[in-house]
Amino acid sequence: MSAPSLTSYIVKRPWLKRWMMPIANWYTDAAGYRRLGLKADDLIPEESEVVQTAIKRLPPKEAYDRVFRIRRAFQCSVSHTLLPANEQTKAADDVEYLSPIIREIEKEQKERADLDSLVVKRR
Amino acid sequence: MLSRSSLSRNAPRALQKQCSAAGINSRRSLASAATPGLQYDVTEAAGVKLANREIAGPTATLALVAKAGPRYQPFPGFSDALEQFAFKSTLKRSALRINREVELLGGEVSSTHSRENVVLKAKFLSNDLPYFAELLAEVASQSKFAAHELNEVVIKHLKLRQQALAASPEQQAVDAAHVLAFHRGLGESITPSTTTPFEKYLSAEALAEFAQQAYAKSNIALVGSGSNSADLSKWVGQFFKELPSSGSSGQYQLHPGTTSKYHGGEQRISSKAGNAVAIAFPGSAAFGTSGYKPEASVLAALLGGETTIKWTPGFSLLAQATQGFSQARVSTKSHTYSDAGLFTISLSGKADHVASASKNAVDALKKVAAGEVASEDIKKAVALAKFRALESAQNLETGLEATGSALLSGGKPYQIGEIAQSIDAVTEAQVTDVAKNFLSGKASVASVGDLFQLPYGEDLGLTV
Repeated sequence: MSAPSLTSYIVKRPWLKRWMMPIANWYTDAAGYRRLGLKADDLIPEESEVVQTAIKRLPPKEAYDRVFRIRRAFQCSVSHTLLPANEQTKAADDVEYLSPIIREIEKEQKERADLDSLVVKRR
Repeated sequence: MLSRSSLSRNAPRALQKQCSAAGINSRRSLASAATPGLQYDVTEAAGVKLANREIAGPTATLALVAKAGPRYQPFPGFSDALEQFAFKSTLKRSALRINREVELLGGEVSSTHSRENVVLKAKFLSNDLPYFAELLAEVASQSKFAAHELNEVVIKHLKLRQQALAASPEQQAVDAAHVLAFHRGLGESITPSTTTPFEKYLSAEALAEFAQQAYAKSNIALVGSGSNSADLSKWVGQFFKELPSSGSSGQYQLHPGTTSKYHGGEQRISSKAGNAVAIAFPGSAAFGTSGYKPEASVLAALLGGETTIKWTPGFSLLAQATQGFSQARVSTKSHTYSDAGLFTISLSGKADHVASASKNAVDALKKVAAGEVASEDIKKAVALAKFRALESAQNLETGLEATGSALLSGGKPYQIGEIAQSIDAVTEAQVTDVAKNFLSGKASVASVGDLFQLPYGEDLGLTV
């Protein structure tokens, strides 16, 4: 799931973060998915066990909205149009909704792997 | 991985002493009814009621009894779900970690529920007491009630349990008899039947709210066996401090237990899973309450139906009466609860055999009411009833819950000597009187299975 990223390095340094944020905002907006009404988390590839489990764990409303956004974006893509400005995703709405669940599942899997390869030292 | 505070504190200690535990050889000789080791010392630690019996030995048991069974649940399925949620993820560690830690220390954790209580139980090597006391406290106070655990594990288990119930006509019949006898409260079925729409009430938030009340200090009792009393109260005092003394009030609070009232009636459920008839009468409440009638347990032993010895039907009246029906199984039980009881005769097997055997069973009961029973048989029944009561008190599985339940309902804990005395004092006349009362009052008759062949209560000669 995770590509190499400088995010945590930058976020830890407030001065650097302040400096990078405008660039980041501009970049995300330029990526164009917001014009199709999508959120960043909609772009996560679904074809993995972890993401599939995470999608199943979404609350019903979130899951419905996700499918709606994806279908709408697909329709826009087919007809080569962009959504009207009032229907496009606003920066404030573009929040993580799936990633926290994915992180939780990854944590669970890591814990399982760690416990499976655990060496017990008896004193 | 093992350096988490929860395990590191105790695990090295436990592992170190594990080898020496086998060497402790301070086992007591055969326990008699008066053995002080079988009596519970009752104390209170950090506001939690605590009963303990010190039986020296390498292993110990600690159980948390919460007054949150179906009788007290706000909506159907809540007690089942609460029981299934025990030892799942808590705020401190995941369900997997709990499982692996318990495996590593060597122990057993389990949860069950009866009509009145939810019981969380841990069995372990005596040295691991602090770890398991902490675990129980954590489960009670910090369970996470994650929505995905509810959907992925708990509800699936619950559905399997419903199917198991639907596949057992006898259990269904006894459940239906409880509904007839007590309507609500004690009548709430132990597991919701397959047709109960319980999913619409269940949600993780609702359960979390319910659990807060169910595991509040005033609503639980801890029962230990095998640990040192001083140690136990020390660790319980330390770990159970954080438990709220009473839960917040909301929509999903415990149902206030209304006093049970006996109603009676008849219910017929068609089913393809098999055939069963349950005939029930108002019975005896648990020991130590005002409704306790030792006669009921003697009558249950006298009517019996299940043999206690191999290759013979035994002395019990129902076993004799139904000897010709090889395809029917009979058993008589006295279900005792904190303020009421139900005396049930249940028959299951082939439809025609069950139908004729149930007639014979009622005839046998009538014979007892008429006093046509050999005093020899009553003596045997008294001995058997005494054995059963003492055995269930001594037995860990039943004794722990009975003790916890008694503590919660304000009665005295199961005291073995007194039970034995009260059963010994039962006379023949008392047993006859109980049977007479059964026949004169209203019975609860539930039949499950092939209703074309199964009899109505009236056909059996009962008033319903």
